[in-house]
Amino acid sequence: MTQTFVEIGRTMDKGSRRTRMAGAVGDLWDDTNWIVRIAALLGLVLLVLAIFAPVLAPYDPVAQSLLSRLGPPLGIEGAKAGHWLGTDELGRDILSRSLYGLRLTLGVAFLGAVIGMLIGGTLGLAAGLLRGLVDDLVMGLVDIQIAVPFTLIALLAVAILGGDLQVLVVVLGIAYWEQYARITRGEVLRLREMPFIEAAQASGASGTRIALKHVLPNLMSPLVVIFTVNISNIVLLESTLSFLGLGLRPPTATLGSMVGMGRDYMPSAPWIVATPAILILLITFVIQMLGDWLRDRTDVRLRDR
Amino acid sequence: MLGYALTRIVRMAITILVIVTGVFFATRLSGNAVDFIAGEGLGADDRAKLIAYYGLDSSLWEQYRRYLYSFADGNFGISFIERRPVSTIVMERIGPSLQLLFGAIALTLIVAVPAGIVAAIHRKSWIGSAVTSMAFLGYAIPNFILAILLILTLSFWLGWLPSSGSGTWAHFVMPLIALSAALIASLTRFTRNAMLDVLSQDYLRTARAKGLPERTVIFKHALRNALITILSVLGLQIAGLAAAGNVVVESIFDWHGIGEMLVSAALRRDYPVLQFGVLSVAVAVILINTIVDMAYAAADPRVRLSNA
Amino acid sequence: MLRNTLMATVALAALVGGAHAAELKVGAANVPATLDPGKDHSNSGSQFYYNSFDTLIEKDHTTGEPKFLPGLATSWQMVDDTTMEFKLRQGVTFQNGEEMTADDVVFSFNRMFQATFPPYQVRSKDRLSNFESAEKIDDYTVRVHARRAEPLWETLINMQQLMIVPEGYIKALSGDPALAEDSDYEAFSLAPIGTGPYKIAEFVPEQRLVWERYDGFWGDAAPFEKVTVRRIPEMATRITALKNGEVDLITNLPPDQLQLVESDPELKVEGMVTPLFHVLIYNTQNETMANPKLRQALNYAIDRDTLNEALWLGKAVVPSTHTMEEFGPLYMPDLETFKYDLEKAKTLLAESGYDGETIRIDTSASYYTNGLLAMQAIAEMWSQIGVKTEINVNDAWTGGDPTMNARNWSNPMYFADPFGSFGVMWAPGGPAEGEGRFKTDADYAEKWERFRFSSKVEERRQAYGELMERIKQDPPFLVLYRPYESWGMRKDVDWAPMPGHIPYVLDFRAGSIGVQS
Repeated sequence: MTQTFVEIGRTMDKGSRRTRMAGAVGDLWDDTNWIVRIAALLGLVLLVLAIFAPVLAPYDPVAQSLLSRLGPPLGIEGAKAGHWLGTDELGRDILSRSLYGLRLTLGVAFLGAVIGMLIGGTLGLAAGLLRGLVDDLVMGLVDIQIAVPFTLIALLAVAILGGDLQVLVVVLGIAYWEQYARITRGEVLRLREMPFIEAAQASGASGTRIALKHVLPNLMSPLVVIFTVNISNIVLLESTLSFLGLGLRPPTATLGSMVGMGRDYMPSAPWIVATPAILILLITFVIQMLGDWLRDRTDVRLRDR
Repeated sequence: MLGYALTRIVRMAITILVIVTGVFFATRLSGNAVDFIAGEGLGADDRAKLIAYYGLDSSLWEQYRRYLYSFADGNFGISFIERRPVSTIVMERIGPSLQLLFGAIALTLIVAVPAGIVAAIHRKSWIGSAVTSMAFLGYAIPNFILAILLILTLSFWLGWLPSSGSGTWAHFVMPLIALSAALIASLTRFTRNAMLDVLSQDYLRTARAKGLPERTVIFKHALRNALITILSVLGLQIAGLAAAGNVVVESIFDWHGIGEMLVSAALRRDYPVLQFGVLSVAVAVILINTIVDMAYAAADPRVRLSNA
Repeated sequence: MLRNTLMATVALAALVGGAHAAELKVGAANVPATLDPGKDHSNSGSQFYYNSFDTLIEKDHTTGEPKFLPGLATSWQMVDDTTMEFKLRQGVTFQNGEEMTADDVVFSFNRMFQATFPPYQVRSKDRLSNFESAEKIDDYTVRVHARRAEPLWETLINMQQLMIVPEGYIKALSGDPALAEDSDYEAFSLAPIGTGPYKIAEFVPEQRLVWERYDGFWGDAAPFEKVTVRRIPEMATRITALKNGEVDLITNLPPDQLQLVESDPELKVEGMVTPLFHVLIYNTQNETMANPKLRQALNYAIDRDTLNEALWLGKAVVPSTHTMEEFGPLYMPDLETFKYDLEKAKTLLAESGYDGETIRIDTSASYYTNGLLAMQAIAEMWSQIGVKTEINVNDAWTGGDPTMNARNWSNPMYFADPFGSFGVMWAPGGPAEGEGRFKTDADYAEKWERFRFSSKVEERRQAYGELMERIKQDPPFLVLYRPYESWGMRKDVDWAPMPGHIPYVLDFRAGSIGVQS
């Protein structure tokens, strides 16, 4: 299998991490505590900003003000009144666009990650449980995904289906499905050998029941960890797609498309790119910290079983 | 072992066929190449003329059949846009892409592994946090922003390096950094975690108890064991990089490699280039994966059996 | 001491005397995939042909007015109503050393007039349809036959598509050396040869073009020994390359970035109002767009002066009709075909019975300078009168797409006459009508006939006015503006775009460029 060497790697990783946690759980916890707290707080702030963007934004994000275009943030010479973070190439308020962009980006990334998890998780589950032809098919799909540059798949998908929000979300979702699939499949294969599964089978439980009651709960923790990391990956992928011209139709903005469209102005009007880029940075920071924390946390729980 | 090898080869062939067919039909469904290349101002019969000129006038199945047959002659088609054989174009671009690929792998290994070790050893002090934070930054910035930032600082303001193109080592620096940043970031983190795992293992406690110097403990025992996981992740990254085509970096720095070729061909529906390009990349990636897997299978019987 | 001064003076003199400087490096936003002056009418290709090819009739490019000079032909005269005879210049050689004779001229012309190669057929249809054939009279005399009386002989013979190419060389490129096959033309577009002052020494499609001085050129020697053009599509990179000295000249600098270059003491900017219109076109045959009052309303709703102010720093030219100063006696600035009038827009919108359908505006991402920005601004202006819009960013050309509602386009001035701008695109049976988005009738055709073929300027003006009135009543397009395009360069490069050229030409011939010492 294509993923064999990773599977081996991960299996080793899992086993030894449990041992490590057992011995050093105290220091690791203390270690990252204050950073994790900041990340959590920041995450909360970002969420609030995203959810309440329509209320907080001082301007309509698509309202143009042609004669006030390319205005720098307040405090710098040439700033336009009322636009705290400046105006973009069509005179739209950057603060408002960033708030709405944050909202849309988080929404799209979250949805995309959910789609990826559903597709990948289901396929991986099926491959691991049913084996045989199903397994071969799923792994074949994984092979194809790895062998073809995803930007091309995204491009063709957008070309055939159009550049709507729905298409973008689905495209971003399927970008990383194979991560979920492989982990799920690997976990399922491992769990199959476990005594409690044999016990369940011996007591006459059906395949479905075993899947739902025994296998699924064990899967949740690794899946959740991947899910969180996936969100930040999708945010970055979306900005790359927008760089290539495959993003959402203007004038709607995501953080990624603001960065993509604004890159021509980096030498002359860097604030257009600065605000959304910093927000992307913060999102990635929050998610990475929380993802790490989650991974450590869930391992402890596994140990307790 | 032979049975395993045969299975893998058959799977490889099937995968490639599926990819080639998929790209062939998907591109033709996504709009007519003529509208992208020469579409302006064409009346209906002119358009028909150009469609025939590009060989797009027969039915899809007929085109597909001709396409597959052409492989037998070693004729992979002529670019719609550049009017020269696609194999020539791909050959020109493989070199630059491989340069970036190998450079990125080397740089990643050289920087990330020591950094990860340092971060693991000094995880409680500021050194460890500093390394982790810098690694994080390399990962969290969209790579084209990083690329442009590099150009603006190192080329525009400081004037130390040429802005784009290829030819000298100076041209190589920024594309390499832009490409490797994310890889270094994630491999550093991974190395750090792998080392942390291994460092607290029981057998290391034994080694320490025996009085072995910490350095020996780290390098001789811990690292060796962590290395397998590190290398497996690096292997994934390589495959990912080769397939992802380094599009962004190649585009911004005018580094004329396969990635730029593929995206440009896709955006403008240059079917022959797109088809051959995807085929080449797919074959390369799958070949590498298959060989590595077969090496593992040869070395470790468990793998073979678990996949039976 | 004296010796040092002497050495220094000699060295300086060598530098100064080097008007034949060594090398020029150019960073271009676009380098085409193929180079064949007959096949091409793109804005990216037009940058390069003039340095390597010549036409029979040359033009004085220092002025916008049509002033013609001997080129590869030393004299010409009408022999009868539809035939012009040219006396060719002797001793002209192509860049591969072969002599240019009437055979080459006849070959160059007939490959377009009687085209069999599809790209030539498509290109010659819109402006060369009145030419029937070229005929060799003797080694240095050629006659060109038109189908009917042609008022624009010199203008047309001066066109890029009629640049002279070598017959022997082309035929020998592939297959049978006695025949001109399609594969010959394909190969030619990758390794072109002409009679101009620079030979194309190296051409990598869409990447690089290298010119070397051709010592056998019949006119004044090229100022540079070598010119390297490198494609740098990314704006920030292009500007950086100029600042760093990696290149000496860059193209396609939008107004937003001018300040960045001008503020550098070693750099400067040259620009001009391009002989080209950015236009907004409509699909008049589409159900949503069919009502002329709707399209009139849409036109009245666009404030082009504000667009100019905001996007072009006021440097673009906003015309009231499809006309340019370069047309000389046929320049008609008094016609008012397009105007900004918000109230009228609202009234007409209501009268048209518009009921809220979404109008889709197609645009490419970056093909036209400020194109995407302008379309977004226009969408906003339309929403102010209550029209719903959707922007579709796509590199495909949707001009022939029946679902197209509106999109941007450019109408270059292919030659200095309204026929060379409005005419080429909007003729009965021309590109616009051929794509199905514009319909003409007998009345339009009649007016057209007078405009195209009248021998009297006054009659042509009259007819053109009538055509513009038709356009005003049932608009298939709106002329936005003539964009102001800029080039950035090192301060010591003495070059500026010239008013007499077609858009975007990089003219590096003697007298057009120099380097100050």
